[in-house]
Amino acid sequence: MKPLIRAPKDFWSGVMFLAFAALTLVTASGYSMGRGGRMGPGYFPTMLGWLLALLGAILVIRSFAITGEAIEKIKFRPLLALLGCVLFFAVTINPLGLVISLTITTFLCAFAGDEVRVGEALALSLGLTLFSLVIFVFALGLPLPVWPSL
Amino acid sequence: MMDVFSNIWLGLTVAVTLKNLAYCLIGSFLGTVVGVLPGIGPVTTVAMLMPISFTLEPTSALIMLAGIYYGAQYGGSTTAILINIPGEASSVVTSLDGHQMARQGRAGPALGIAALGSFFAGTVATFVIAFGAPPLAKLALQFGPAEYFSLMLCGLVAAVVLARGSIIKAIAMVLLGLVFGLSGSDVNSGVRRFTYGFQGLADGIEFVALSMAIYGVAEVIVNLEKKVDENASTAPVGSVWPSWADIRYCIPTVLRGTALGSVLGVLPGGGALLASFSAYTLEKKVAKAPRNFGHGDIRGVAAPESANNAGAQTSFIPMLTLGIPSNPTMALMIGALMVHGITPGPRVMTDRPELFWGIVASMWIGNLLLVVLNLPMVGIWVRLLRTPYRLMFPAIVGFCCIGAYTVNANVTDIVVMAFITLFGYICLKLDCEPAPLILGFVLGPLMEENLRRGLLISRGDPMIFLNTPISLGFLIAAALLLLVVAAPAIRRKREEALVE
Repeated sequence: MKPLIRAPKDFWSGVMFLAFAALTLVTASGYSMGRGGRMGPGYFPTMLGWLLALLGAILVIRSFAITGEAIEKIKFRPLLALLGCVLFFAVTINPLGLVISLTITTFLCAFAGDEVRVGEALALSLGLTLFSLVIFVFALGLPLPVWPSL
Repeated sequence: MMDVFSNIWLGLTVAVTLKNLAYCLIGSFLGTVVGVLPGIGPVTTVAMLMPISFTLEPTSALIMLAGIYYGAQYGGSTTAILINIPGEASSVVTSLDGHQMARQGRAGPALGIAALGSFFAGTVATFVIAFGAPPLAKLALQFGPAEYFSLMLCGLVAAVVLARGSIIKAIAMVLLGLVFGLSGSDVNSGVRRFTYGFQGLADGIEFVALSMAIYGVAEVIVNLEKKVDENASTAPVGSVWPSWADIRYCIPTVLRGTALGSVLGVLPGGGALLASFSAYTLEKKVAKAPRNFGHGDIRGVAAPESANNAGAQTSFIPMLTLGIPSNPTMALMIGALMVHGITPGPRVMTDRPELFWGIVASMWIGNLLLVVLNLPMVGIWVRLLRTPYRLMFPAIVGFCCIGAYTVNANVTDIVVMAFITLFGYICLKLDCEPAPLILGFVLGPLMEENLRRGLLISRGDPMIFLNTPISLGFLIAAALLLLVVAAPAIRRKREEALVE
């Protein structure tokens, strides 16, 4: 028996677009529509939402009829590790400052790959932090907290 | 005519100050260093290095970013030739013949002709900009909201046509980009839209965070999933100077490539990618011994390299004169200008002539610097090529984090970057190209404003978009493009051309 969904990539893209369309339409319904000549803040978003929904629906329906590629297997390690690193940096940059936050962030990053060498990763994260400190803080004067704020 | 030269003179006086020369040098050097690293393309390079420019004054910032851009492009072709890992689509073509040449022991001449061809193309393209941009800006000053709306629509359609893969997905990505652009305060009514109560979204989704998420972090994740070939072997380079015979052999090729690239770069949706593909195809058609192509023909390097450099440069024309990005890199440039409080458009040339002409002049200087810098330093680049990916990706992620934070000194932007990374990863997994999304995002607010203003003027009559000839022209062009792509025969051709 043939699988029901013949083009998984198209199907899930369609689902994603439909989801965004629904979110857009629901959110936009809270803003006033206005008229053509004097559009309210809800007019353009609503238009986009319906167009997006149309395309999403086409993709979903088509995926039952036309055979397409399967989705390659998702590896969770790099995805979750790097998302975690970015969020870690977001949480720690203000309280801990660049030196501590960036060193730990880039060190943890190294664990996202298949091949991890702890010593090398440590050296790299220290090097990167020193480099960023010199370039971004001292040379360019970007507004970054450097040390922990007490 | 005299105007052009006095303008170029003005540009030179801006670009040849010690400070701006230094930024141009730093930019093209950094761009090359990062661009040479395998797996990092020009867009990622520009996105990643953008924070360096935040504290500079706008002219210097853009000079440096432009330097980073063509440096990265040059670095990308070095990678393509030496180890056959093209950093991005536009150097795929270069790797076809370039890598074959390297395997035959002619890596040096391949790199040399790439540099010389690029330099020549860059010089010509600089003049194309100097002559072409002012009339275009003058024309654009007369555009009303209807013309602008139709122009942007046409630009987005062109971007869709050139995206790889499914057209329906590409259109949907444009729409999604427009939706993402809605977030923030509505210009007309002041109502906060799509912020979901988050204070950090009051000014909308930060463009820097969006582009770094997609071209930085999400791309790293996808690269880590693929097993990257760590022990890429590099061919010995030898002398980088092509022989006179090689140069003479390539002159017509470089001329054709430059001409084609200059024209294609200006088109919305064009730029380096389209230019290099078309130039290669053209050479294959007109060449006397086309069978050599793909087996290390030096013309196969000269054509795409001169075309993509010309195209990369002339793609600044629509960006600087109309405020319309023709490719993701130009979208990044617009983002960078906006960080500095400058809205690109026809007024830039009249209000900030020193900015406009300074950039144009510095492009030529940057191209010269690239030749002077890169040919002697090729040994260093070869060593950089061996950098394993495990040393690069923590740096990319780290710089993206710093970049997202420093635009507004706001933690929300980093969190936004994390969410969009997840979204970008899903898109890449589902074969939804992010380029149309980026263009849609940049153009979204402008499109809505022009649509609303146009309809306000006409009191709600949509015929305003069809009644003015220029606007009608753009709409017809957009419709034709869509029809052309929808026609099955051409669709097959397009797929071949973009897959090859």
